[in-house]
Amino acid sequence: MYDVVIIGAGIGGLVCGCYLAKAGMKVLIVEQHHKPGGYCTSFKRRGVTFDAAAHSFGGYRYGILGRVFSDLKIEKRMNFTRFDPSDIVITPDCRISFWADLDKTIRELQKAFPDESKSIKEFFAFVLGPDPEAFSRRRSWTFKDLLNHFISDEKLKAIVSFPLFGNGGLPPSQMSALLGAQIFKQFILDGGYYPEGGMQALPDALSEIFKEHSGKMLFSRPVRKIRIKERKVSGVVLDNGDFIPARYVVSNCDARQTFLKLLGKRVVTHEFLDTINNMVLSLSMFILYLGIDKSANLSPPGSNVWLLFHYDLDKAYLSAKSGDFRNIAGYMVRTSPDKKAVLAFINTSFRSKNYWTLNKIKWTEALLRKLESEVFPGLSNHILHKEAATPYTLYRYTLNDKGAAYGWAGMPSQLAISGFRKPSFIQGLYLTGHWTTQGLGIPGVCYAGSDTSQMILRKEKHS
Amino acid sequence: MTSTVEKEIISIIADVSGFDEEEITPDKNFYKDLEIDSIKAIEITVAIEKQFKISVRDEDVPNITTVKQAVDLVNRLIAEKAE
Repeated sequence: MYDVVIIGAGIGGLVCGCYLAKAGMKVLIVEQHHKPGGYCTSFKRRGVTFDAAAHSFGGYRYGILGRVFSDLKIEKRMNFTRFDPSDIVITPDCRISFWADLDKTIRELQKAFPDESKSIKEFFAFVLGPDPEAFSRRRSWTFKDLLNHFISDEKLKAIVSFPLFGNGGLPPSQMSALLGAQIFKQFILDGGYYPEGGMQALPDALSEIFKEHSGKMLFSRPVRKIRIKERKVSGVVLDNGDFIPARYVVSNCDARQTFLKLLGKRVVTHEFLDTINNMVLSLSMFILYLGIDKSANLSPPGSNVWLLFHYDLDKAYLSAKSGDFRNIAGYMVRTSPDKKAVLAFINTSFRSKNYWTLNKIKWTEALLRKLESEVFPGLSNHILHKEAATPYTLYRYTLNDKGAAYGWAGMPSQLAISGFRKPSFIQGLYLTGHWTTQGLGIPGVCYAGSDTSQMILRKEKHS
Repeated sequence: MTSTVEKEIISIIADVSGFDEEEITPDKNFYKDLEIDSIKAIEITVAIEKQFKISVRDEDVPNITTVKQAVDLVNRLIAEKAE
């Protein structure tokens, strides 16, 4: 008998598990993949380490990561560096770097947009301000509304928004103001952190801490069912039929799967089934991995370089959604700190498994040609290895519905919906990670993981 | 005597904050005592709107920082709706 079974060893599940195990609860994490991390994993080819999806993390100085790292003593087990600048946005008109030194970033933006000098400062102050009411009042605002409130220049708005598009999958006109501000604050103004040895080091460190507090882990074991008895969870059934009893179940996996498959429609209320059926998924991505030779020198190692070819992010979203990447607004390219690997990605949406199997090579070659003709002449002469992940690949490794990269799409109407954090119709069931409508990316899922553990620990205190 | 509105609001806050209903007394401050952050503040506002079928105006949000204030506001909005 476990106190808690957590489904999914992504960062959200691991953080949640660490806090619960540290507080003395008996916790099991079950993961369908053979290693921990979810979207935060690395793999090796010909001795070179490639990050699968997440390629740096943020929110250490101003965000949740600082607190989680200190609570769980992660620094003791994992070395990490902050690359400076964390992000560089390159457009047809300018090149803006986001530095660890905030004032330097502000000065650089002011120099490129002198008419917006004052508004840039005000916008930064607002985003960094710790006022919880500010967003509650603006809960129906999009990030575009927020930008319009401070900034007039459309090019500046697009420059600020493009890394958010890549990190959150929505254009500013659709992304919630809070989510956009959080991504901007945590990923961009406080981003660029990278663990020594690759992104896998983060879930590995969390797994070690979890096990040190007597947490148990099961890998390569999909969960088949969450078992319910009298509207209360009683445990989970694994793919091999084994039943594992538990007082609490935390699902850190895909929300549709949690409700429709693991629980089953009979358990979910009609009202909530309607909610689920009306929810919009976030976009997925097509990721290109390149092993490169020493002389390649493509982009500053460790910095996320955002190449933006036009400023219309609404159009960019539509072309990403339809998968017509002849019209894409741009993409992100990143050379790994060891200068051996390049990761480039564009957002797109899932089609059929068959489509991706048939078109993976076509997309790989097309993106490669685009990179070579638009950004890195002679790129193909430096390639030692090439590989790609399609939305189907993302689905296969994580079971996120349609390879959704950020959980539910982060629109104002899909923000902070209680039922996705803790469904009211079943006792003892919690969701965590990027499907909780609370946030996304590594800072978002760390927040959710830590929040879920607090919920359970508070509940325990009173029972 | 605790009103129904107060009970329901306390139940929403308990659900969002994780604090036990008994700990959530009328004078408790959302931000200082109940660890409500931006996302939870939104969740509470949205849940209150849904529960009581009212819409909280943007300018009212700064006026709901304690349980009592939230109860007063909801009572006022319900009364306004009935008029």
